[in-house]
Amino acid sequence: MSSNDPCSEQAQREVTQLRKENDSLRAHLDRVEKERVEYLQNVSHQLVAPLNAIKWHIENLTETRMGVERAKKVLRSIYSQATIAVHLAKNFNLMSNLEADHALSKLKEPLKEIALRQLLVNLADDFQPLAWDRNINIVVDEDHFADGPPVWAMRPLVSQVFSNIIENAVKYSSNDTHVTIQGTYIAENDCFSVAIQNQGIPLKPEHTSMVFDRGFRSDEAKRKYPAGTGFGLYIARRIVEIHEGRITASSQKHPTIPDDWITLFKVTLSVKGLQGKARMREY
Amino acid sequence: MSTKTILLIDDEQSLLEPLAEALEFEGYRVLKARTADEAFDYLNREEIHLVTIDIMLDPGVECGDNVDSHRTGLYLCGEIKKYWPEIDAFCISVISDIRIIEQVESLGIRFLRKGETPLKTVLNMFRSRLTGIAYSTERDRHPPRDASNRGN
Repeated sequence: MSSNDPCSEQAQREVTQLRKENDSLRAHLDRVEKERVEYLQNVSHQLVAPLNAIKWHIENLTETRMGVERAKKVLRSIYSQATIAVHLAKNFNLMSNLEADHALSKLKEPLKEIALRQLLVNLADDFQPLAWDRNINIVVDEDHFADGPPVWAMRPLVSQVFSNIIENAVKYSSNDTHVTIQGTYIAENDCFSVAIQNQGIPLKPEHTSMVFDRGFRSDEAKRKYPAGTGFGLYIARRIVEIHEGRITASSQKHPTIPDDWITLFKVTLSVKGLQGKARMREY
Repeated sequence: MSTKTILLIDDEQSLLEPLAEALEFEGYRVLKARTADEAFDYLNREEIHLVTIDIMLDPGVECGDNVDSHRTGLYLCGEIKKYWPEIDAFCISVISDIRIIEQVESLGIRFLRKGETPLKTVLNMFRSRLTGIAYSTERDRHPPRDASNRGN
């Protein structure tokens, strides 16, 4: 074939195009692989850290002579770290289901009545020891928590939604602040809305929807807590969607403290939940 | 013995609580820093004898622009070796990136991985550095009378 052969030129163009596509695919794969390695490192970091704290606490208990009060304090810390480890393990289990493209409802959780106030009080208690570390107080605002009928939902999954939001609120709050939880029953829509507010790093307006995307982490979040995975709020959104509820985030500058922002997460769930619909339908 | 001061640098201090507990029980003064900024504040103000450094932590506002939070601890290791070479330093982290670990150790800082290093080993190493008495397993089995008798 001569170099002027149109077939040859066409073939060369195609080869060049294929090379470009190949390079682009390779770059994409490299990026995905880098993200995967970073994700696994962060998962490992998050899980190993509380387990190590538990190991060290147990060493203290077994090797140091300590009084009953101090021993009780150590046991409370062990319980608290174990709670965090269980919470993280549940998240990674949910995440692995999502990554494998399995529907979350394949977990086949039955719908149950959930008293949201009690659930949130329990979760606040679970995360409070972690929050005390930076003098953050988690408050279930009883004065602004309207009693409504219990919500029908998949309890372990809904619990994970709120624990992810509360954990997030604690992680990204400034020291010496409050995380406030309020609940409102909206009779006309027969739904219950839970608002979780904290004061800390900014959630910029352009990030209020992206924050629920898989793996998204703002620069401020990466700086404050480098070992995060960016999956907690993504999991929360997916679970809320399964319940045909709504999850939103909003943020505004603190009126008097220059570097702080007030961030509000709101989850709205229908009281009847998925009752009356195919309970275990595939999503 | 004058009280020695140990600075623990970690953004999640609750994870170092058992270490802090054990050190305070042994009579050391323990200070805690959650960001690089806080660490520098202490280093500038206090007489520190030993420091532990986590790798991934919030650099804080002052250091924030120059440091990647995934490597804040590495930056701290370099600065501490440069400006406070008299302080004994240990790196305590869960990271497994061998390049970072090699850089830490090339500065003459011992790397201890969380989850793999028993608390007892950490305490023995600290005691050894602070007293100048070499660590031995024999001393482990027969702890000094004053430490073993100290109740609460």
